[in-house]
Order: sequence, then structure tokens, then C-alpha cells
Amino acid sequence: MNFAWPIYQRLASAFPHEFKLAYGDEMLQAGEDAIAEIARRHGILGLLRLLLDLLFRLPIEYLNEIRFDLPYAVRTLLKSPGFAVVGIVSMGLGIGLSTNLYTTALALLTRPLPGVTSPNQLVTAETAVSFPYIEHYREQKDLFTGVAAVMPGIEFNVALPGQTAKPDRIYGQLVSPDYFTILGMAPERGRLLSADLDRTGNVPAVVISDRYWRGHFSADPDVIGQAVRLNGQNATIVGITPPKFDGALSPNPSEIFVPTTVPATLAPELANDVLRDPTAKDFQLLMRLAPGISIDAAESALDGITRRLDKDDPFAPSQTDKAKRLVLMGAGTRVPLPREVRPKIIGFYAFLMIIVVAIACLNLATMALARGAGRRKELAIRLGVGASRFRLVRQMITEGILLSLLGGAAGFVLAWGLTVWTAHTRQPAGSPLGPERSVDWHTVLFAFVVAVLSGIGFSIFPALHATKTDVAPALKEGAALQLSGHKRFGLRNLAMGAQVAGSLLLLLVTGYLVLGIMKSNTIQTNFNPRTMAFLFVDPVRDGYTPAQSQAFFERLPDRLRGTPAVTSFALAAQPPYLPGDDDNFQLTVDDAHAATPVQKGVFKQTVGAGFFAVLNQPILAGREFDDRDQRLDGGPATGAALPPMPLMLSQKAARALFGSGNAIGRHVRGDRRTWEIVGVVPDIKDASGMTQAVAWLPLTRHEFAQPPSGGIVIVARGHAAEDAIGGVRSVVASIDPNLTLFNVQTLSEYLELIRGEMRTALRTFGSVGLFGLVLSAVGLAGITGYAVAQRRKEIGIRMALGARRSQVLGLVLREGVWLVAIGSVVGFLGSVALAKAVSAITTAFSDAFAIGVDDPRLLIGAPLLLAALTLLACYIPARRATAIDPLKALRQD
Amino acid sequence: MPHPAHLRSFLPLKPQWFHILLSLAGEEQHGYGIMQEVLQRTTGQVRLWPATLYGSLKRLIEADLIEESHDRPAPELDDARRRYYRLTPLGREVLDAECARLQDLVRAIQTKRAMVTE
Repeated sequence: MNFAWPIYQRLASAFPHEFKLAYGDEMLQAGEDAIAEIARRHGILGLLRLLLDLLFRLPIEYLNEIRFDLPYAVRTLLKSPGFAVVGIVSMGLGIGLSTNLYTTALALLTRPLPGVTSPNQLVTAETAVSFPYIEHYREQKDLFTGVAAVMPGIEFNVALPGQTAKPDRIYGQLVSPDYFTILGMAPERGRLLSADLDRTGNVPAVVISDRYWRGHFSADPDVIGQAVRLNGQNATIVGITPPKFDGALSPNPSEIFVPTTVPATLAPELANDVLRDPTAKDFQLLMRLAPGISIDAAESALDGITRRLDKDDPFAPSQTDKAKRLVLMGAGTRVPLPREVRPKIIGFYAFLMIIVVAIACLNLATMALARGAGRRKELAIRLGVGASRFRLVRQMITEGILLSLLGGAAGFVLAWGLTVWTAHTRQPAGSPLGPERSVDWHTVLFAFVVAVLSGIGFSIFPALHATKTDVAPALKEGAALQLSGHKRFGLRNLAMGAQVAGSLLLLLVTGYLVLGIMKSNTIQTNFNPRTMAFLFVDPVRDGYTPAQSQAFFERLPDRLRGTPAVTSFALAAQPPYLPGDDDNFQLTVDDAHAATPVQKGVFKQTVGAGFFAVLNQPILAGREFDDRDQRLDGGPATGAALPPMPLMLSQKAARALFGSGNAIGRHVRGDRRTWEIVGVVPDIKDASGMTQAVAWLPLTRHEFAQPPSGGIVIVARGHAAEDAIGGVRSVVASIDPNLTLFNVQTLSEYLELIRGEMRTALRTFGSVGLFGLVLSAVGLAGITGYAVAQRRKEIGIRMALGARRSQVLGLVLREGVWLVAIGSVVGFLGSVALAKAVSAITTAFSDAFAIGVDDPRLLIGAPLLLAALTLLACYIPARRATAIDPLKALRQD
Repeated sequence: MPHPAHLRSFLPLKPQWFHILLSLAGEEQHGYGIMQEVLQRTTGQVRLWPATLYGSLKRLIEADLIEESHDRPAPELDDARRRYYRLTPLGREVLDAECARLQDLVRAIQTKRAMVTE
């Protein structure tokens, strides 16, 4: 029975200090006296009841104590409104910005997909695979409870029957019918796709997102069962996804989900028998791991299976190639990230957020330290009349948390405003909708937790520092005593120096990114950019048969040539200057003699006849594609020996494959066929400022029959871009007035579109950098102001003894200058180290860092800007010091 | 019978407050003594567990219903760690008011029961 006594003692000692002071001994004694009697009378249940009583009262007593702290904290803050306002603004900026970073970036990376059951069991592969492979994976029932095939980011034309207006062009996903089963999702209305109901040959059933339903059908409940024209074919809407769900595996929202069992006439992506062709690697995987299976186990098993399947594919890497065939990554979040990159990217954002909040905290801590010195008398009196140090510390932390919560509320409003503002900025035409960045209870919780933690964080050291007061001298000499000013490395100066360093670090790191992004954002054209326009057309998704579509594209060039408004034009599968990823197309030099053939991943772009002429782009060697190439059949190779197709390379790609040797006439293999190099063009910077190794494929009858998901773009130039648009429109209308021209835009509009994402990044990073600047200025002004206020007496004496104004000014400024100088050096070194470290571990930011890091404007400008601002912040209170009237100052106290 | 306004806010008294005030009605007591007294008076039915007891004593002092007494018992019976409590005039008033309220209640019950059994 004596197990209860030590627990009783332990619990009793956990009560608040004030309570223990009054009743601690008695409660112990009462327990000691009663415990034997309770055990005798009630047995073990009685003892438990005794302990539960303590456990239950413990929080009540604490709440009771805090109940007194809170009104006191409110009164103290009201008494120094200046401190309160600066504190709330600082914390508000800090919490607001970190909350904004959270909603714009981190939430997309870390929040589970909405409406999905156990999202952490979902995995996908880093690379696309073919449908027959997926069917093999599906047989691994001990590894996966389900495997779906997904083509994300597919465009669809949607029209209501009888609708006369042009159809909507929306983004959706082509998914195998088990997609929603694997996600474990329940429909908001109607039904979702299922393997049993959505079989080949049935009337195509599609599911729309809740967002599309609300936006385009005004949340009409009768939409279930509604017939629609999808890419010109009949389909039926059968269900609506849960709110906020708009597709797995893609950051951009999908508004419609179409099963892979629909005919290829509805979804041209399914043409060429891609569902049966084991070499058509067009699908993303979406798999749910079986319970107890780790991602590593699943990966190595799948890798083995893939390796076996690859044996039958002549274009797969050779069997001796040790590289992994399949790398898995988690798919339970909005943006799936490769496993080794994920912690680094999340870490970078977390680091930014921590720095932002830490600077705000340091700012408040320095001010609280200064204020603690001013409160010495109050604290000494309270200590003198018997308050415990713990009690005072708790009181000051309560004040800190209160301040920080008020700041958190302000910050939340700021973050909310930023989100609303971002949501209302116009999306350029034709760009996929941005992911919905909403402020919800996660965000509130996030801001609240940050506020409480930083409230404790910034007040604990100043509180401990201030309550170390020696009672007697403090009472005698009062608040005006200046002690810490002469300690060069006092806690306060350390905090202030750290703040300057942190601010500069933040300013520089974000500056590198901003400058890097801005610089890379200027493209060079060999022509007046105001003369070019893009118009997209997609006859197949407007209901044409492949043959009709081919016929249209064969007539189009002749008609355009006869239009004076269009001075030059070309067709392509994508607009020029598109930023890309340079390993989506693997090329191997066809050289029978080489032991290890040269291999290079390049960015594949498909362009029609005269494409480079429209860009005014001279050809380095060979020729560019002409009408003969545009009349080739093209299309995927069937395995039979085919004549080589013409291919053009950018200079960078040619050099990578052939060194300095001549590339013209050489053969390369890639994409299951052989290509003959017919031309080399100079490197062209894309819209994000990068120069990619590019392989230019000819646009052929194959693309005309089955335009890629984005349609075919007509790149046209006229005297002005608008003339070209008008010319193309009238030509297309004269061929078929019902054909839709979509994403019609000038080159400048298109570049805006590409830069939209960058602008968001610029805004985010820019505001973070500016925030640091403003905060450290505010902090320095605050701390210098306090120092001046405390040294009134000293300054008064000096002035009475004949010190000149400039000497007083120098006295006050000197301390600030030292802090700024030391802080700047540390911050500068830190930022260079950080930029290097971040670039080394992840390529996600290295391009921007690489461009921004050497910019002299930044390297010299940022420290100077910070120094100027912070010195100004010191100067204003310092000048106040010179206005001190010696007589008044000396009469005080 | 309506109670004066300054008493009304205390009524009805929380059971543990009532028991503590009742224990102190006769004589000054220390905490453990109150616990024992209540236990005996209710023949073991009501036990004021230590944390509840001292928490309540703290609230009663804050509410000015009881106060610490500085009259100590004879040194041979005294324990320096113990503190003694007594009713304040307000505490006595509140206790009286609560007793009156309870008596009214009992009377009402008896009347009702008489009507039922008749």
C-alpha cells in the first residue's frame, strides 16, 4: 500500500508555488496522516481516489493562478502602449509571414490529400510507366492493395448539349477506374468511378471535382446524370468528389476525372493502343501499400519486376545497367516529392519560417530585456514582499504570451489578407488553375502554436535575467540605474547583434533568390516581341475524326500564307521558350564501334516547318524542318525497321552527344526509333532563363491526327501581335466556324504566364527579406530608445558638465554602430554559407542562387541598406537624448 | 425568505464548502481536523480529499468566508506546520443563510410528503 505515498509527495510538490507556500506542508501532513486510514478503510480504490483528487486539482490550481496573471499582464501592457504596439506589430509580421509561407508552400508539401483514407499508405513512382507494366504490378497483391494508372494534367473540352457558346477547356485526369477505390474516397454526391461499373464499351461516366461543380454548375444537385459533350463525345457526369479534393499526383487542380476505359475518340491520349503497348510509358502510378509493407520493400520488389519486364523491351536500358528501374515516393500529399529531396525542401522552408519568427522573437526579447531593466524597481518590490522568482517569471511569460497572441491574431489577419490577395490576382489565360491556398483551421492552429511558443521563447530569458535583481540596491537606486550598458557582451547586446545578423542573412538569402529569379526572367528575342502571338487549336477534342483533323492541318498553312495580316507562322506542339526539364528524352549515339555509347537526356520539343524562321533564329548547321518533314507519318515506332526520322539539336545537345565533331547526318536512337540529325540551332534561353539541351522533333501527320493534350499551337507574327491574332482567327473561322481557338495570347502575355509562378515566389521571398529589414530597424530603435531613457540621468550629468550635443550623440550611437557592424559581418558570412549549403543539397533553388549569389548590387547593397536603416533607427532616439534638459533629468528620482 | 444580496451569490453553497463551514461553526480547526470531523459527522459518507480540502480552504479565504486564526492550542498539542481556521462574520452569515435555505427545503419536502400520505 505504500506505493501511493511517493506518488502523493511527487504530485503535491507539483502544485503552484503560491499554493505550496500556503498549504504545501499541511497537505503533505494530512496525506501522511490519512493514507493508512484510507488504505484500511477503502483499500486500493481509496488510494487511487486520493491520488486522482490531487491529479484533478492540479490544473485547477494552476488555472487559478494564471487567472490573476492575465489581468495583471493586460494592465502592464496598457501601461506601456509603445512597447505593446511595437511588440504586436513585430510578432504580427513574424507570425503572419511564417503563416503565409506555411499556406503557400509548406501546406502543399505536407498536408495530406483531402478526402483520402490513410494517405500515408499511398505511393507513386518518380517516373512514368506503361499500362501493361501497371497490370503486372497490380498482380502483387501481397505488396499493394491496389494499383491505379493516372495521366494527370490532361486538357478536356467540356460543353453542355445544345450549348452554343464555345466549350470550356479544363484540366483533368485520365485514371484507371480503380483510382478512387485506391484513394479510399467517398463521393460528395452520386458515385465515383469503379472497376465494376466503368468497363470498356459502357457510356463514358465521368466524375467532376467539387470545385468545378460549384464554379460551373452553381452547385446544382441535378448535375448527377447530366449528359455532357466531352471532347465532342457523349459522356455522363455520375458523381462529385469530396470538397477540396482536386486530384492526386499533381499540384495543379484537376476538375474532371475520366476513366481510361473511354474510347480513344473521347481521350486522344489513349490512341496508339497505349493501354496495350508495354513501351508507351505514359502513365503515373498510384498505389496503396498493403498493411505492414514498407516503401523500401515495395520499391525493391517492383524494381525486380520492372527489370524482368524490361527484358522484352529493346529500348530499355541494358540488363547490365545497375541503376534502379523504379523509384517510389509517397503520394499522400498534394505535391509528391522524391524521398531524398523532400526533407531538404521542407527543411529550407521550415528554416526560413524559424528565422522569421526567431527575428521577431529576438526583437521582442531585446525590448523585454531593456524593459526588464526599467522594471527593476517593481520587480524588486514584488520580490521583497515575498513573491517567488518563479512567480515573477511566470508573470512575465504570461505577458509575453499575451503579447504574442495579440501579435498572432494580427499575423493571422495579415496571412489571411495575403492569401485572399494572391487568390484574386488574375491567372493568365490558359494556365492551369493554381492550387487552392486557403486559410483554414490548420493555419489557425499553426499561427496559435507559433504564437504561444514564441511568446514563451522571447520572454523566458529576459524574465530570468530581470528577476536576478538584487533586491536592496535596486530598491535604493530605482529604475534609472544603468548597469548593462557597459557590458559589451551582455545578453541584450548579444540578442541585438544576433538580430542584425539574422536580418541580414534573411535579406541576402531572399535577395539571392529574388535577383536570381528576376535575372533569369529576361529572354532575348531576335525580333520585336510585340509582333508574336500564339493560338491553340485542337480539332480532335472539338469532335473531329483523326482524318478530318489531318485534313484541317494540311489546308491551314496554305490559307495562312494567303493572309496579309500574318507575315510568318509555324505550327508546333508547344510554344517557344517553354521552360523544360532536360531529361525527358533519352538519346543514344548510334555507333556500332563504341564500347559504351554516348547517352544524353534532352528536352523534347516538337516543331513544324519554318519554326526557327518565325523566331528569326539562324541555323548553325544543316537545315530546319520544312513542309516535307511536316508530311511525314511520324507516330510511335512499331518495332519494325523504319527509315530514320529527321531531328534537330540545340548546340548544347549536339555538343553533349558528338563533342566538337560534326553532327549533321549522324544517327541517334531514342523513343524507340532512329533519328538522323538534319540541323543544329544555337542555344535559346527559355522563359525561366535556363539554357536546356533540346532535341527538336518534327511535327508530323501523327500529331495532326492526334494532337497532344495541349493542342497544336499556331505561332504567328504580324505587324503587331493583334494583327496576327485577327488574321489567324479569320482563316480558321473560314475553314470551320465551329472550331475553337483557345489560349489565344501574345508573346508578352505568355511570358507573364510563365512568370506567374515566379512572381509568387518573388513576392514571398521579397516580403520575407523586407520583413527582416523592417524588424531589425524597429528593434534597434526600440532598444536605443530604452537605453536613452535609462541613461537620462547620466546624459544630464554629462551635459551639465559641458558635453556637447555631438558628443552625446556619438556616445549613444557608438553602441549601435558596434552592434550593426558585428551583426552584419556574421550575417553576411552566414548567408553565403547558407546559399552554398542549400545549393549543394538541392537543385530546387540552386539555379536561382547560382545567378543571384555574385551580384554586387546585393553583396554591397544589402549590408549598406541594412546598416543605413538600422543607424537611422538608432539616430532618432539618440537625437532625443541630446534634447535632454540636464536640470530636469537630474531632478528626477 | 429572501437573502440579502451580498449572500445570494454564495448560495446554494458547494457541498464541500458547506461541510467546511459547518465544521468551523463550533470551533477553530486545522485542515486535517476538518477532514476528520466531516468524516465522523457524516459517518464516513463524506470524505474531503486533501487537495480538494486545501483548494477549498484557499477559495474560502479568498472569498473572505474563513480566515486564519492565530490562536494556537497549548504547545504540547500544537504542531507548528498546522494552520488553524475560523469563520469570518461573513462566513457565519453565509452558513446561517445556507442552513435556513436547507431548512426551507426540508420543510417543503415534509409538507409535500404529508400531502401524499394523507
